[in-house]
Amino acid sequence: MSQAAAVSGASRGFVLPRFLRSEHPFPWLFPITAVLLVFGIYPLLYAVWLSLHKRNPVTRVSLFDPAWNWTKVFADERVWGAIGHTFLYTMVALAIELVLGLLIALLLDSDRKGYGFLRALMTLPLVVPPAVTGMMFLLMLDGSFGVLSRSLYATGLWSPEHPILATASSALFGILLADVWQWTPFMVLIMMAGLRALPKEPYEAAAIDGATAVQTFFKLTLPMLSKIIAIAVLIRGVDLFRVYDYIKVMTEGGPGTATETLTAYAGTIYFKNADFPYASTIALLTLILVIVTSSLFIKLFKVKF
Amino acid sequence: MASPLVKRTSRDIAAVVVVALFMFPLFWWALTSFKPTSAIFDKDRVVFFDFAPTLINYAVTLLGKSRAELAIDSGDTFGVGGVSSYDSHQTIIDSIIVAVGSTILTIAISIIAAYALSRIRFRGQQAYLNWILSQRFMPPIAIIVPVVFMFHYLGLRDTRLGLVLIDTLINLPVAVLLMKSFFDDVPVEVDEAAMIDGATRFQIFRKVVLPLVTGGVAATAVLCFIFAWTEFLLSLFLTNSIRTLPVKISTFVTSTGSEWGFISALGTSAVVPSFIFILLVQKQLVRGLTLGSLKE
Repeated sequence: MSQAAAVSGASRGFVLPRFLRSEHPFPWLFPITAVLLVFGIYPLLYAVWLSLHKRNPVTRVSLFDPAWNWTKVFADERVWGAIGHTFLYTMVALAIELVLGLLIALLLDSDRKGYGFLRALMTLPLVVPPAVTGMMFLLMLDGSFGVLSRSLYATGLWSPEHPILATASSALFGILLADVWQWTPFMVLIMMAGLRALPKEPYEAAAIDGATAVQTFFKLTLPMLSKIIAIAVLIRGVDLFRVYDYIKVMTEGGPGTATETLTAYAGTIYFKNADFPYASTIALLTLILVIVTSSLFIKLFKVKF
Repeated sequence: MASPLVKRTSRDIAAVVVVALFMFPLFWWALTSFKPTSAIFDKDRVVFFDFAPTLINYAVTLLGKSRAELAIDSGDTFGVGGVSSYDSHQTIIDSIIVAVGSTILTIAISIIAAYALSRIRFRGQQAYLNWILSQRFMPPIAIIVPVVFMFHYLGLRDTRLGLVLIDTLINLPVAVLLMKSFFDDVPVEVDEAAMIDGATRFQIFRKVVLPLVTGGVAATAVLCFIFAWTEFLLSLFLTNSIRTLPVKISTFVTSTGSEWGFISALGTSAVVPSFIFILLVQKQLVRGLTLGSLKE
């Protein structure tokens, strides 16, 4: 059949060059490569180019001045604050979501009736638009009529004088609550899949040896899950590092700059100051930190996709 | 040692309580959308069920009814006033167009790439895969400023087509890695048998292998739709008048006060399609979330 096609092609005096034939990867990979290059790589290079310019806020002209933004970014205390908030947020959220996710996965990993339904319910938070999640928690954490705030006031754990999101020391944790609610199910799902895939034999052996449930968990389950945990932590960690939606709708980085992460700060510079080169510089700094941190993680924990 | 029955029952109770805690925000959100303004903003007590349910929030946001008229009709004029930019039916239409459009484009581009990555061996294949994976991890903020400039220059700023393209860019890496994992599930012998019969690569792809992965295509499409449906940052930067639902909802929060009734009504409407879709692809969800590296 292919011979016939080649013959008929030749008879029309037209033969496709080898790299355009479907045996060659080029025609298959051309569209995706083109999209990623045009809308992904080109803007990235453009961002680097932008970051080498100094923008005059009065004349709105950008002049080539390669050192300007990069010296400014390291001298900017708000940048250092934002780096601190970003790492704090990422680490705390990762720790809570991982531990909670593992515990809930162990709890829900049962074949008995009703558990399938509970597991399906658990996936729902994942698909709520994060901006809407931010709104939900903004409503529930409202200082005067929010249901969560008022429950906390009623139990005496929190004083109405310091609304959670309007107080510098607690605002970031209010946002973390939204993140934990939305993404703990991510960990639950992945851990559950991991648990399901575990071999049965080691557990039978452990049971014969009389190991307790806690011993079995730390000696058997956790080590066997480590590969999956590493993948989950990597994916979640990178997404946490670029958190924006919750912060934008819940606090806009405030009060003051108490909840300003790197992405949020870049957004503020873009929308409020219209200093596009500086916004790009902060965004690139975020990218560099993501690359460095995740590469370290991949090396350290030997993550393989 | 507690008896097995006690143990089992306490586990059941714990499981139900945990899931109930996670469901509470959704319940509260939906409940709020049926409350009149006076019940939402009650500063003296938390209103659970003792309010007169109303559909006014849905009528204003989804049908574009004027709030003042509805309020006079129903006799509840508490907190009436403000601008009437809460009509969101156009936003819903735009969101659907953008999400469906980018899903179709993403699927079309990713399935052919995924097939080649699964079947054809070439030099630098692993590096190419890593490059695609790295795109998934790029923070959108790193490219958004130049994309705004670029779209402005190309006339794509504040257009549905622009949003379709940018959502496609964001979804492609996930979609191609996920689709590759589905193609990898199909034994190579299937291709080889067809090849002996003289079929070209493209014929094998279209007639033989693609029909075997329709389930995977559907799951990938659902995930792409949900990602596009929930995307926030890029839409916020790229649009002023054409808005997707998450961005539109965020504009209801103003410095003079938030219209929680409208926000929760539109928010609830935005969540329902995702819920329906996600329940359809439960089996493939883990694979989608781990970029195809983990199968259930």
